[in-house]
Amino acid sequence: MKLRGEYRVDSELRFLGNFDMMHLMERSLRRGRIPFALTEGFNPHIRLSMGTVLPVGLYGRHEYFDLDLAVPMAPEELVAQLNRALPPALQLWRAVVLPERHLSLMQGINAAAYAFELEAAPEELRQLGERILKSAELIVASRGKKKNQVKDLRPGIYGYEARGRELLLWVSVNEPLNVRYDELLEMLQLQGVMPAQIKNYYREGNYVRVGERFFTPMEKLS
Amino acid sequence: MKDILFRDILPRVSKPARYSGGEYNMIAKDWDGAGARMVFAFPDVYEIGMSHLGGRILYSVVNEHSRHLMERSFAPWPDMEACLRERGLPLYALESFRPVKDFEVVGFSLQYELSISNVLNMLDLSGITVLAARRGEDEPLVVAGGPVAFNPEPFVDFFDAFMIGDGEEQILQFLDCVEACRGRGREETLLALAQLEGVYVPSFYCAEYNPDGTLKSFAPTRAEAPARVRRALLRDLDGAHYPLRPIVPYLEITHDRAVLEVMRGCYRGCRFCHAGMVYRPVRRRGLDTLRAQAAAQLAGSGYEEISLSSLSALDHPHIEELIKGLVCDYAAQGIGVSLPSSRVDALNVELANQVQKVRKTTLTLAPEAGSQWLRNVINKNLDTEQIHQAAEAAFSSGWSSLKLYFMFGLPYETEADLEGMVQLLEELRDIGRRHSRRPVELKASVAGFVPKAHTPFQWEAQNSREQLEAKKKIVLSRRLKSVKISFHDSPTSVLEGVIARGDRRLGAAIYRAWQKGCKFDGWSEYFNFGRWQEAMAECGLDPAFYNERQRGENELFPWDFVDSGINKEFLWREKQRAAAGQVSPDCREHCMACGMKQCFGESVCAKEGLADEAAR
Repeated sequence: MKLRGEYRVDSELRFLGNFDMMHLMERSLRRGRIPFALTEGFNPHIRLSMGTVLPVGLYGRHEYFDLDLAVPMAPEELVAQLNRALPPALQLWRAVVLPERHLSLMQGINAAAYAFELEAAPEELRQLGERILKSAELIVASRGKKKNQVKDLRPGIYGYEARGRELLLWVSVNEPLNVRYDELLEMLQLQGVMPAQIKNYYREGNYVRVGERFFTPMEKLS
Repeated sequence: MKDILFRDILPRVSKPARYSGGEYNMIAKDWDGAGARMVFAFPDVYEIGMSHLGGRILYSVVNEHSRHLMERSFAPWPDMEACLRERGLPLYALESFRPVKDFEVVGFSLQYELSISNVLNMLDLSGITVLAARRGEDEPLVVAGGPVAFNPEPFVDFFDAFMIGDGEEQILQFLDCVEACRGRGREETLLALAQLEGVYVPSFYCAEYNPDGTLKSFAPTRAEAPARVRRALLRDLDGAHYPLRPIVPYLEITHDRAVLEVMRGCYRGCRFCHAGMVYRPVRRRGLDTLRAQAAAQLAGSGYEEISLSSLSALDHPHIEELIKGLVCDYAAQGIGVSLPSSRVDALNVELANQVQKVRKTTLTLAPEAGSQWLRNVINKNLDTEQIHQAAEAAFSSGWSSLKLYFMFGLPYETEADLEGMVQLLEELRDIGRRHSRRPVELKASVAGFVPKAHTPFQWEAQNSREQLEAKKKIVLSRRLKSVKISFHDSPTSVLEGVIARGDRRLGAAIYRAWQKGCKFDGWSEYFNFGRWQEAMAECGLDPAFYNERQRGENELFPWDFVDSGINKEFLWREKQRAAAGQVSPDCREHCMACGMKQCFGESVCAKEGLADEAAR
């Protein structure tokens, strides 16, 4: 039986790396006595797939994992039991049972939304969003693997939303373009946002984009 | 503080999770409701400090068993230090993010001589006066414990007090006393502390020297201070408190696993081993206790691995049952058991096979010396035949790589002994080739021997840097295929040797070395021997006086006032037996009258089933 979990990571844990996060989840699964399945072979490990990876420095409101269970368990039960073993700064929202033939997180997720809390009036946020969408190109220094190159973020930006003091940007993940949060930070500054105006930022969520529509990985299971 | 850290500082440093606290099982006590407030300060990075079992024990004893409070602080890596200094932020504790300076007691754990420069740096970064004599009434008491505190003298300039011996036995009394003395002033508090077992307050003692530089006299200047400071001794390990809910760090630490302390002390009396001497007698935990502690720790931490920690864990009478039980209980949950590596014999290879049923990579053996004669000198009770058998058992059961620990620069060592090391490696490799189906590899790690206080070799001269380099050349000139030999850095051993048997006068050189920028001296990328040499020269000190000098039988040592329980006559007898290449039996077979019973009473050894002195 396979379950998909949706969780939040608070600001306190934003300095954890990929492996740290995986260890934290595995150890919590053990503490919570979750009946996880193990891989076969030399060095058995928990059949857990952390489908979304938060880069060091970023926290997130909707992150996901898939977990194989050796013994079936109701999703609500997993949430309750695992939340007791997880630190308060990382908690599950909910879990669902995955169908036999499902879309893995890696295959499915092709978009994300990043939130930037800015010291700006709502009207200014809307203007900023429009300016970004109307730009023909948005050139920034490439982070990640292709350092020392520049890249145009524009084809990877799908839309924006002004939400209170936050500007949400919907962007592409992996294909056609991988847009990173630190590249977005640079882009905002090139659009005239002063560093001191940026009060906070995090990943709002990860999505499966089909056509023009965005589904959460909890909605789009197969 | 926390906001500034998270917003402005941590995004700029490497491994920020070292500094963010909030780990699972962390205990953040209410500041105002607590008794005495202490910060456990570890003079190395988080990953090393959090791996240290003693710190886990103290943290748990204080926070779970008393009204006192203990938080943690570690040496910031130089990038973090630079950020803190740039912003004018002090060193802080991870639980409350309060400055270290706000605590009543700052307790450093001294695991290694060379960590002292980090102590000075951490004090300075905390805004605490580095020199104890100049510390103000309102500053914290700065104390130290750990194995290095068995010769506290080189460090007395920086500490108000030392806690010598088993920490969990004395920490609560110490903090009770600190709390009771609140408002009574520094001197009065220290006088009260000086009367507790295992506590040494250096400002109440005076040292005088002979014209040749050796110690002439060492005595208390206050009637309340004892002439000899007897270490604190935990008599009942089985009943002692043990942390069952260890802090689970977010980032990977050096020993990232649950730990069972199966025994404290060691039966074996190896003559070079400081820990084997000062942690006498052997105290052990029972099988049921260990099983219960394993179960509780794994449930409380979620760790995927558990290891057995002790000087010689495989000597525990029920070790086989324990290991097999752990493997049987936890393998199905994907939890591994890891074995300590110190002893070599075929039986232990069999145990190692139990633990690692499938993937066999490297097995570690520690012959310590290459020739039989030299192994007798150091009392490593192990013969060539046993080493061969262990290697044969390992290679024929599927291991393809052996790691071996050796020392060089040992007392009475000759070129023949170094040849012996090379020859032994060659023999083991050939055994491997005969018994292994895969290509075999041997890795020998060779460390320069450092004579330590409170051991039979405390009288011996340490090899000079030149001697060590020459010996290294002899070994490396014999190139062996499939054998990799790596040597520890000899200047590091030299400095370690100077401090290990140093006296009060070294304090000035340590202070100067720190002023010159020495820190993280245990890390080869930061260790700068030149600066230390300059510092010592500027203070008029000759390193050779401390480590290249053969000491006389009756010389008064700076650490003689520390009563470890072992008497000097025993150590001298052992030194003479070493010179004659005579081995001594271990505590289970025969009592060598080391002095523990005289010091602490017959029952300290009898309870653990050790040999009776009368049987000699």
